[in-house]
Amino acid sequence: MIDKLTYSERQSASFILVAVAVVGLLMAAFGNSNQLGVHGVIVMIFAAALLYPVLSAIYAPEPVEDREASYYDDPIKVGIVLAMAWAIFGMFMGVWVAAQLAWPNLAFDAAWSTFGRLRPTHTSGIIFGFGGNALIATSFHVVQRTSRARLAGQVSPWFVLFGYNLFCVLAVSGYFIGVTQSKEYAEAEWYADLWLVVVWVTYFILYLRTLARRKEPHIYVANWYFMAFILVVAMLHIVNNLAIPIAWSSAKSYTIWPGVQDAMVQWWYGHNAVAFFLTAGFLGMLYYYLPVRAQRPIFSYRLSILSFWGIVFFYMWAGSHHLHYTALPHWVQTLGMTFSVMLLVPSWASAGNALLTLNGAWDRVRSDATLRFMMAAAVFYGLSTFEGSFLAIRPVNALSHYTDWTVGHVHAGALGWVALITFGSIYTLVPTLWKRERMYSAALIEWHFWLAIAGTLIYIFAMWNSGIIQGLMWRTYTGENTLAYSFVDSLVAMYPYYIARAFGGLLFLIGAAIGCYNIWMTVKAVPSTVPATPDAPETAAAVPGE
Amino acid sequence: MAELFHRKIERSSIGFAIAIVAAASVGGIIEIAPLFTIDGTVEEAPDMRVYTPLELAGRNIYVREGCYACHSQMIRTLQDEVERYGPYSLAVESKYDRPMQWGSKRTGPDLARIGGKYSDFWHVAHLMNPRDVVPESNMPAYAYLARTPLNLNDLSQHLAVQQTLGVPYTDEMVENAARDAYGQAVPDTDFASGVSERYGEATQVRAFDGVATQVTEMDALVAYLQVLGRLTTAAYQNTAAPELPPEPVE
Amino acid sequence: MEVKEQDPVTGRETTGHEWNGIKELDTPVPRGILLFLIVTHIWAVAWWFFAPTWPLGTTYTKGLLGIDQRTTVEERVVEGQQARQDWMARIESEPYDQILADENLMQIVRSSGRQLFGDNCAACHGRDARGRANYPDLTDGDWIWGSGPEAIEQTMRVGVNTEHPESRIGQMPAFGRDGMLERDQVRAVAAYVYSLTHPEFSTPENVERIEAGQQVFAETCSACHGETGEGSAEAGAPNLTDNYWLYGGDLDTIIATVHGGRQGHMPTWDERLTNAEIRMLSLYVHDLGNRQP
Ligand code: HEC
Ligand code: HEC
Ligand code: HEC
Ligand code: HEM
Ligand code: HEM
Ligand SMILES: [Ca+2]
Ligand SMILES: [Ca+2]
Ligand SMILES: [Cu+2]
Repeated sequence: MIDKLTYSERQSASFILVAVAVVGLLMAAFGNSNQLGVHGVIVMIFAAALLYPVLSAIYAPEPVEDREASYYDDPIKVGIVLAMAWAIFGMFMGVWVAAQLAWPNLAFDAAWSTFGRLRPTHTSGIIFGFGGNALIATSFHVVQRTSRARLAGQVSPWFVLFGYNLFCVLAVSGYFIGVTQSKEYAEAEWYADLWLVVVWVTYFILYLRTLARRKEPHIYVANWYFMAFILVVAMLHIVNNLAIPIAWSSAKSYTIWPGVQDAMVQWWYGHNAVAFFLTAGFLGMLYYYLPVRAQRPIFSYRLSILSFWGIVFFYMWAGSHHLHYTALPHWVQTLGMTFSVMLLVPSWASAGNALLTLNGAWDRVRSDATLRFMMAAAVFYGLSTFEGSFLAIRPVNALSHYTDWTVGHVHAGALGWVALITFGSIYTLVPTLWKRERMYSAALIEWHFWLAIAGTLIYIFAMWNSGIIQGLMWRTYTGENTLAYSFVDSLVAMYPYYIARAFGGLLFLIGAAIGCYNIWMTVKAVPSTVPATPDAPETAAAVPGE
Repeated sequence: MAELFHRKIERSSIGFAIAIVAAASVGGIIEIAPLFTIDGTVEEAPDMRVYTPLELAGRNIYVREGCYACHSQMIRTLQDEVERYGPYSLAVESKYDRPMQWGSKRTGPDLARIGGKYSDFWHVAHLMNPRDVVPESNMPAYAYLARTPLNLNDLSQHLAVQQTLGVPYTDEMVENAARDAYGQAVPDTDFASGVSERYGEATQVRAFDGVATQVTEMDALVAYLQVLGRLTTAAYQNTAAPELPPEPVE
Repeated sequence: MEVKEQDPVTGRETTGHEWNGIKELDTPVPRGILLFLIVTHIWAVAWWFFAPTWPLGTTYTKGLLGIDQRTTVEERVVEGQQARQDWMARIESEPYDQILADENLMQIVRSSGRQLFGDNCAACHGRDARGRANYPDLTDGDWIWGSGPEAIEQTMRVGVNTEHPESRIGQMPAFGRDGMLERDQVRAVAAYVYSLTHPEFSTPENVERIEAGQQVFAETCSACHGETGEGSAEAGAPNLTDNYWLYGGDLDTIIATVHGGRQGHMPTWDERLTNAEIRMLSLYVHDLGNRQP
C-alpha cells in the first residue's frame, strides 16, 4: 500500500503523523485532568502505529506505473476491514448491553462497564464505527466508478479514513473512562469533535475534487446522496457540538446551548444524524450496488429527484418529534409532526424506486442472497420510515415515547435497513475489489442472511411488545380513574422481552461473524487471473462537466 | 421546466452542494432561532437559583455516567405523567442545564422531581446496589462513587465557564467554588456557612453519603438528585398541579 | 453524450446517461406517489391552521382551535380529579372507622392504593410492603409508631427524622461509638436483647453475660424501650421481644445497632401527595397490616 505512494507523499504522510503524535504528546503532558492525558497517549499510539509502516517503507522503490490509469482501491479495502471490525465490536456491545438489561449483574461492579457507559460505546461504535467506515469506503468506491476517475488525492483518502477512525477510537474509549457530553449520538468531547471537523472538511474537498474529474457530465444519484451526507452531517455536527472547555488542558466542556434550546438543537442534530448518516449515506450505497447487482436500470430518474429533495428538505424540520409534549413550545412540535408525515412520501418513493428497480430481476433475488440482502433492506427501510412517521404523530408518540417501541423502531432501521444494505453492498464489493470471481461461499451468505433476518425480526417483535405494553401500563387507569400500575410493575413486565431481544441480537451478531469469515476466506483465495470486466478509470481527456 | 433546471444543477457539483446546503438550512433556522426570540419560551421564574458547586459536580457525574440512557428528566404534558411524577416540567427548570438531560428512554422512572422524595440514606443504598432496596431493579450498581473522592480542584473553572455562558454565578461564587463544595457536604465546618450565605438558606447542607469527614462523588451525586425539581417553584404555580413543592428530607 | 435506449423488460426509455453500467429509466413519477404527496400536504396544512405552528418573531400563530398542550393537560387533570371526586371526597373527609366499615370504599382503597404505594413507598418498603433490612415491614402488624390509620397518617405526614417541624424523632443513640458504654457492656446488653427472643441462648456459659446485660438494659435502654423491652411508640423505640426486626435480630446486627446507633429516615409526604392520597395510603397500609397479622 505504501509502495503506491511517491517518496514525497510518504514524507507528507509521515509529517502529518508526526504532527498528530506531537498533539497527542501535548495532550498527554498538559492534560492535568488525567482523562485528557489518557487520550493523549491513545493519540500517540495511534499515530505511531501508522508511522511505523510508513517510515519502514519510506525509501522503498517509487511506483512506476501511471497511477491515474487505475482506481485507488487500497483505502477502500482497509475501510471495509475496519467497518467489519467495528461491526463485530458494536454488535457485541449491543448484545452485552441488551443482556445487562436482563441480567444487571453483568456489569461486574466496575465503573467502565455500567450500562450508562457501555450504551454509547454500542451506539457510537456501530453508527460511527461500522456505519461510518462502510460509508467512507463505499463512497470512495462509488465516486470513482461513477466518475470513471481515480480519487483526487494519494494521501488524503488515508487521512480521511484513519483520521475518522481516530475520532471513533477517541469517542468510544472516552465513554469507558467517563469522557462524554451525554448528548445522544454526539457524546464525544470537544477535542474529538474538533478533530472530526478537520477530517470531514478534508473528506468533502476530496469528494468534490474527485467528482470534478468525472467523465459523465451528469452527477449520478448515489453521489447526490453521498454529498448530502457529507455536507449536512458537517452542519449538524458543528452546530450541535459548539462548546467551551473548562480549560485547554481538560477533557470537560460545557455546550453553549442551554435547556430548551439545547433540546431543540440536540434533536435537530439527532434526528438528522439518522437522516443523513443512517439514511442518505446508505441510500447512496443502495443506488449504486443494487442496480449493479440486479443488472437493472434504476426504475425512475424522476422519482429519484423527488425523493432526494424531499428527504433533504423535509427531514430537517422533523427533529422536534423527539420532543412531543415536553417543555419545547407546542408550535415547534406541530411543525415536527407535520413535516414527519410529509416526509413519508419521499421515503417511500425511495424504497419503491429500489424495489421497482428489481422488476425483471426477481429470479436473481430468489437465487442470490447478496441481492436479497439489498431487497430486504429496502423493505425494512420502507417499514421503518412508515413506523417513524407514525410515531411522529403526537398522540401516538404520547404512547411510544420513552418506551422500547422507540428502540424497536431504531433497530428496524438499524438492523433491517442500515446493516442489511451494508452487508449486501460489501458482498457485492469485496470480490470486485480483490479481483475475485465471487465470494468464497454462497452458502455462508445464505446463512448470514437468514440469521440476520431472524435476529432482526425477533428483536423488533420483542421491542414492539415490550414498548407497547410499557406505554400502556404507564397510562392505564383503573375503573376508579386512578393509575393502575406502578413504574416497577412495568419494569417487571419487560424482563422476558429483554431476554428475547438479547437472543435476537446474538443471532444477528453470529451472522455478522460468519460474514467476516466469508470475507476473510475470499480475500485469502487465489486471485482469478483475468478480471471478468475491465475495471479502470477512463484516462481520456475529461468531458467538461462544469 | 423544473426538470430542465435539475438537469442543469446536476452538472455542477458546486452548484449541487450549494443547493443541498440551502435546502437543508431552512428547517433548522425556522425552528431554532425563534426559541431565542419568542416571549415566554423560557418562563419567568424569579426564585430560580443556580446549582451549588457540589450539585454541579454531581450533575457532571450524572452526565459522565450516562444516567440519561435510562432516566428522563422531563415530565410531559400528559395526565398520567403529571399524576405519577408531579407537575409537568417547564423550560425554565432546565435553563441552567448544559447539556439538558431530558432523555429519550425510560428504562427507569423520570427523575425531574426526585429531589426530596427519598432520604439520602436510601439514595446511597440504592446507588451502592439497587437490588438491595429494589429487588426488581435492573439499574447498575455505582458503589465506586462512594469510594472515589470528589475532585474539587477545577470547580472554579467550571463555574467560570458557566458564568461566561450567562449563568448568574457571582465572582465570589466562582472564587469559593471548591470551599463551598466541601462545606456543603461537611456540615460541621466553617465552610458550611458560606454555602447558605451565597446560595440561600434553603440549600441543603449535610453529609449526603453519611460520612462527614470526606467529600466523595457519592456526596455530589446525591446532592444533585436531592435538588432535582427544586431550583424553582414555578412549576407549582398557576397550574392545576395539586401539590406544593416538597420539603427537604433530612 | 446522451444515448437513449429502450429497456426490454419495462419498455421504458432510459435517460441516456450511463455510469459504470448503471442506467436510469425515465419513468414518470407514479400517480400514487403524487396523490400521496397531495394528501399528506393537505393534512399538514390543515394542522397548521388549527394548531399553533408558525413562528413570527416574538410570537407564533396560535391556530384556530386555540389549543395548547399545557391548557389541555391541565383540563385533563381537573377532569380526572372530578371523575374521582365522589369517592375521593369521602376518603378525604369521612372518619376512618366509617371508611373501614364500607367494604366498597375499601375495595377502591386496595386497588387504587397499590399504584400509589408502588410509586412512592415501595422503593423502601417493597412492592409487597414487607420491608427489608433498614425499612420496616408494614404487613406484620407490629408498629413502631403506633397502629391504626391515624398514627400511620401522622407518620406519613411528618415523616421520621425529617426536617418537618413536627417530625417524629426516633434516635437510637450510638452507645458504643459515642463512648456511652464500654465494649463489654455493648456486647453484654446485645446478648441480653438477643436472649429475649432466643431463650435457648441462655446457656450456662452465657448466663453471666446476659445478666450483666440485663443490668445495663435497665439503666440505659429501658428509658426508650421500656422495662420489659416491649418498646414505646412515643420514642419510636421498637419492641425487642418479638421476632420482627427492623435492622436484624442476629447477635452481630444487634451489636452493630447498639454500637453505632440507628436513625431511620422516613420522608414526609405532606406536600408531595394530596390529603386524600395520604389518607388513602394510610388506609391501604393499615389494611395490609391487618390482613396479614
Ligand atoms: C440500566 C438502566 C439504568 C441506569 C443506567 C440507571 N438507572 Fe436509575 N433506575 C433504573 C430503574 C429500572 C429504576 C427503577 C427501579 C429502582 O428503583 O431501582 C431506577 C431508579 C432510580 C432512582 C429512583 C427513582 C424513583 O422514583 O424511584 C434514582 C434516583 C435513580 N435510578 C438514579 C440513577 C442515577 C443517578 C443513575 C446514573 C448514575 C442511574 N439511575 C442509572 C435504571 C437505571
Ligand atoms: C426513603 C425511604 C422510605 C420511603 C420512600 C417510605 N418510607 Fe415509610 N419508612 C421508612 C423508614 C426508614 C421507616 C422506619 C422509621 C423508623 O426508623 O422508625 C418507615 C416507617 C413507616 C411507617 C411506620 C411503620 C411503623 O412500624 O410504625 C409507615 C406506616 C410507613 N413508613 C409508611 C410509608 C408509606 C405509606 C410510604 C409512601 C407514601 C412510605 N412509608 C415511604 C422509609 C421510607
Ligand atoms: C433515646 C431512646 C433509645 C434508647 C435509650 C435506646 N434505644 Fe434502642 N432504639 C431506639 C429507637 C428510636 C430505635 C429505632 C431506630 C430506627 O427505627 O431507626 C431503636 C432501635 C433499637 C434496636 C433495633 C430493633 C430492630 O428492629 O432492628 C435495637 C436492637 C435496640 N434499639 C436496642 C437498644 C439497646 C440494647 C439499648 C440500650 C443500650 C437501646 N436500644 C437504647 C431508641 C432508643
Ligand atoms: C447485534 C445487534 C444489536 C443489539 C443486540 C443491539 C442492542 C441494543 C440495545 C440493548 C440498546 C439500548 C436500548 C435501551 O436503552 O433500552 C441499543 C440501542 C441502540 N442501538 Fe443497537 N443493537 C444491535 C445492533 C445495532 C445496529 C446494527 C445499529 C445501527 C446501525 C444499532 C443502533 C442503535 C441505536 C441508534 C440505539 C439507540 C436507540 C435509542 O436511543 O432509542 N444497534 N441497541
Ligand atoms: C420517515 C422517516 C422517519 C421518521 C419520520 C422517524 C421518526 C422517528 C420518531 C417519531 C422517533 C421517536 C422519537 C421519540 O419518541 O423519542 C424516532 C426515533 C428514532 N429513529 Fe426514526 N424515523 C424515521 C426513519 C428512521 C430510520 C430509517 C432510521 C434508521 C436507523 C431511524 C432511526 C431512529 C433512531 C436511532 C431513533 C432514536 C432516537 C433516540 O435516541 O431517541 N429512523 N424516529
Ligand atoms: Ca460531542
Ligand atoms: Ca435514545
Ligand atoms: Cu427522528
